[in-house]
Amino acid sequence: MPDTATILTVIAIVVKVVIATMVIFSLPLPLTWIERKVAGHIQVRLGPWRVGPHGLLQPVADTIKLLFKEDIVPAKADKFLFWLAPLMAMVPAFAVFAAIPIGDTVMVPIINQEIALYIADMNVGILYILAIGGLGIYGIILGGWASNSKYALLGGLRSSAQMISYEIAISFAAIGVVMMSNSLSLVEIVRSQNHGIFSWNFFYLPVGPVWFAIFFIGSLAEINRIPFDLPEDEGTLSSGYITEYSGMKFSFFMLAEYVAMVSVSILAVIMFFGGWNSPFPFTIGLPSILADLLALIWFFGKVCFFIYLFMWLRFTLPRYRYDHLMVIGWKILIPLSLVTLLVTGFMRIIG
Amino acid sequence: MEQLFFYIFAFAAVISAILVISVRNPVHSAFFLIVTFMQVAAIFILLRSPFLAAVQVFVYVGAVMVLFLFAVLVLDMGKETMKEHLHGQSIPAGVMAVILFLLMCYMVVKGRIVANPGSYGEAALVNNTEVIGRELYTRFIYPFEIVSLILLVALVGAIALVMQSKGKEQGK
Amino acid sequence: MNEGKGRFDIMELIKKVLFTDFVKGLVITFGYNVSMDSVITVKYPDEEKWIPYRRFRGLHTLNRTADGRELCVACELCSKACPTRCITVIPMEDNTGRGISDRVAKVWKVDLVRCLFCGYCEDACPTRAVRLGREYELACFDRNCAVKNREELLRPQPVPEEMSGGVVAKARLRTTPDGIEVVADLSETRKRRV
Ligand code: SF4
Ligand code: SF4
Repeated sequence: MPDTATILTVIAIVVKVVIATMVIFSLPLPLTWIERKVAGHIQVRLGPWRVGPHGLLQPVADTIKLLFKEDIVPAKADKFLFWLAPLMAMVPAFAVFAAIPIGDTVMVPIINQEIALYIADMNVGILYILAIGGLGIYGIILGGWASNSKYALLGGLRSSAQMISYEIAISFAAIGVVMMSNSLSLVEIVRSQNHGIFSWNFFYLPVGPVWFAIFFIGSLAEINRIPFDLPEDEGTLSSGYITEYSGMKFSFFMLAEYVAMVSVSILAVIMFFGGWNSPFPFTIGLPSILADLLALIWFFGKVCFFIYLFMWLRFTLPRYRYDHLMVIGWKILIPLSLVTLLVTGFMRIIG
Repeated sequence: MEQLFFYIFAFAAVISAILVISVRNPVHSAFFLIVTFMQVAAIFILLRSPFLAAVQVFVYVGAVMVLFLFAVLVLDMGKETMKEHLHGQSIPAGVMAVILFLLMCYMVVKGRIVANPGSYGEAALVNNTEVIGRELYTRFIYPFEIVSLILLVALVGAIALVMQSKGKEQGK
Repeated sequence: MNEGKGRFDIMELIKKVLFTDFVKGLVITFGYNVSMDSVITVKYPDEEKWIPYRRFRGLHTLNRTADGRELCVACELCSKACPTRCITVIPMEDNTGRGISDRVAKVWKVDLVRCLFCGYCEDACPTRAVRLGREYELACFDRNCAVKNREELLRPQPVPEEMSGGVVAKARLRTTPDGIEVVADLSETRKRRV
């Protein structure tokens, strides 16, 4: 008979997993609305307006539409992979969240228990996230191939080449962060940045901003957002790999894309901007519950900023040409990250 | 409990490995190879080696298989699925397979299945990134460097091959 | 000379490294994003309606003289000029002073499904009877209601000829038995933001 502590831990994990899954599943609802509103206002129009006040119910309407839409499978598609691809895109996007912390352990007053605001603090957290996050690409490649359509296939091909090129740069950026923070665990990485704004990895001068630029550009390419959304480039590929998808399968791809955007924003905050630490180097002796709340607010504030940044970039920048994309990846980001790696190493030895 | 999980993963790994070589469609083969790699990564975790598991997924599934798929996708599927892949090499291939199988049997029988954690202890094994790094750069520095050298040679070789065929094309 | 060029390149490089061009673009779009005044949307069916300029080519109108006689003399020139052959004119004799001459149109109808709003009919008309008006809410539920006949086209237009247009008027959505229509309040107008 296991003791109560074990049972409590198991219950806590189950509850956390359920909450996390539900939150992630419902994330795209507000995000699509926000994205369309941001798009609207940047393009000096209103965005969604007619369903509900300020178009707030638009995502609900869209969901209902997608649910009831006919699920078309092309006659010559590879049925098995066509059916599996949306899942292969979505599952990794969710699995990543198992290792993503949103806060340190907090004392919950009513039940008097220490609750960790993460599902698992893996000692290889950062590697796990990069590895699992990279799997989402198979949904795109296999979906593109299984559709048996030239646009989809080209989208898949572009996506795989893009992915290989930029994953190297991102991994280097992750290595840089690991060197700066001396740990592979995301919780430890955040803890190493808890002395105010200048202890954040971004301000680990001179290499911090460079690592951040490499990471940010690389992750833009990884999650297929403008200016690097070549796999679904409407201009030349109609919709790239999702051309043949409709209904819920299509929405799975969209879900995966939004979730990936959120997880990349969270990663950027954790790796470079101090996670849930406030930018001030001192603490004001708040009661612990308020301090925990404040940490959460800092964290979500920063994450929201990055999510907004992704949308903001999307409606500001034009799309890159494919060969430019490759040049940026191989001839700029990778050499730059090698040099920065060397500098970071020297800095660690000296300082 | 752990054994149960081991058998689940091992079973899935073996099944998908068999499927890799028995399905006709190269993309399906690649897909099952991904599944196999994932199962092996899971077994690494059971062996308390999360670092190796993550690297396995990262390198093999995340990068190598993407390249594989990239190459496979541009094949002409209609022909590829029909073609006989062995080109009359089935006899030497069979002999090689038998030899390899015997060799592996020998290794399994002779080798120590139960390894002891060595001088690092159980705790270090769980947090084993550091251990791997230190061992790799001290005790196994020569194998490590040789492996990287071989990779470098392969890299240069690949480029040389491409350059050669390019030169020929220009010569024409 | 060379030195100057070198310095120039360095500046360019610095600009590239600091992403100045990106930042400039981002600042502009951020300005649009936060300022509510820049929104150019016309809240069409619910609150506002666009009143087009006089040159707009919408639904046909058949006009009358100042004393109310029909200008159309049923010469059928419009139907001959029409590239899609969508105007049907059947003349008849009438000396009661309905038209400006004794020949008036018994039937004058236009099939809007085929009309391409080119305006050739109004150019062909010798008496300037047919004009393309400013009515543009032409959607309807079946093909029959897309055929507009004389009686309908002779009705006075909701937007008077004197109004030069090019403004956004206050409007409201009204449900009628045959569907919905947007009724504009021409006294309250604003310029369109561009
Ligand atoms: S506008 Fe052109 S197409 Fe339409 S009725 Fe007149 S002439 Fe025919
Ligand atoms: S509308 Fe003009 S052109 Fe057409 S029949 Fe009447 S008078 Fe002739």
